[in-house]
Amino acid sequence: MNSKRTSKTSRRAAAGFKLALAMTSMIDMVFLLLVFFVCTIRFERGEEVFRLDLPVRAETADPLALRDAPVQVIIGMRDGERCEIEVRAEGVRQSAENFEALAVVMQQYRRTPGSNDGLFETSHPILIVPAPGSTWQDTVDGFNAAVRAGYANIGFAESKS
Amino acid sequence: MSLLHARGPARINANMTPLIDLAFLLIVFFVLVARMSSEQLPPVALPQPLHAATTAAGSRPRLTVNVIADGDRTTLSLGARRFADDDAGRAELAAAIAQKIRRDPTLPVDLRADRSLRYDRVEPALRAIAQAASQIGVGRVTIRVCALEDRTSQHE
Repeated sequence: MNSKRTSKTSRRAAAGFKLALAMTSMIDMVFLLLVFFVCTIRFERGEEVFRLDLPVRAETADPLALRDAPVQVIIGMRDGERCEIEVRAEGVRQSAENFEALAVVMQQYRRTPGSNDGLFETSHPILIVPAPGSTWQDTVDGFNAAVRAGYANIGFAESKS
Repeated sequence: MSLLHARGPARINANMTPLIDLAFLLIVFFVLVARMSSEQLPPVALPQPLHAATTAAGSRPRLTVNVIADGDRTTLSLGARRFADDDAGRAELAAAIAQKIRRDPTLPVDLRADRSLRYDRVEPALRAIAQAASQIGVGRVTIRVCALEDRTSQHE
């Protein structure tokens, strides 16, 4: 069987058998695709998300039930690198120089489960209150500080303007 | 002499026509897909919090509301649809969101807003989402931000 195959191959070679592939059009297409992707490519940083739970209006909720007064995080106007931030709650009024300090302050007020230190549970409502003229960046920074401090129930106040 | 050799040497040619057809189909497909994705996620300078405690956006379908700064004006968009940043536009936006959420109540809503915008220009979009969510009874909204690499904890 092997000898048969060898003789067939040699016969084809003797007859000048050629295998040709037209590469020109394929290369044209490859270059077209390359130009298309080079022109349309856009490098973007990966987007990530913060979760914000909106209050659900449940019909069965007791309208007379007492709700925790939220801890307010007042975000003031930015003056260059400086942004005045204040944490306000019942019996609490503390300012922070920046958002790093805000995260530390809020962490100090957080009650660790099973211990008596701290004032607020992680489920305690936190309200971000940006001053008129505050940017969305500062607002999200305030939100981020509260998330970093371990709170899970964070919302935004209505704008006053 | 055999019949094969009588016709002369055999030639094999690759038929390029279907290959080129396919390549063009692929080009058309990618052009359309690129256009659709850029309409869903227009370029917005998102906030970049330091040490962001965010989670990855994931690949599941989301409804994205964009708040785009356009000079002194603000434009709201949901997919390819644009809405004016006035009471009528926001009411239309809330109705469009409610319609989409009604079809899939588990659909999360993302808010992408330019970081340089004042809060009082972003908040009406938040209120429109809240209005749509309360119409349907869905209480979950995510804010989508562009975060730096460094992370401290997981929120979601």
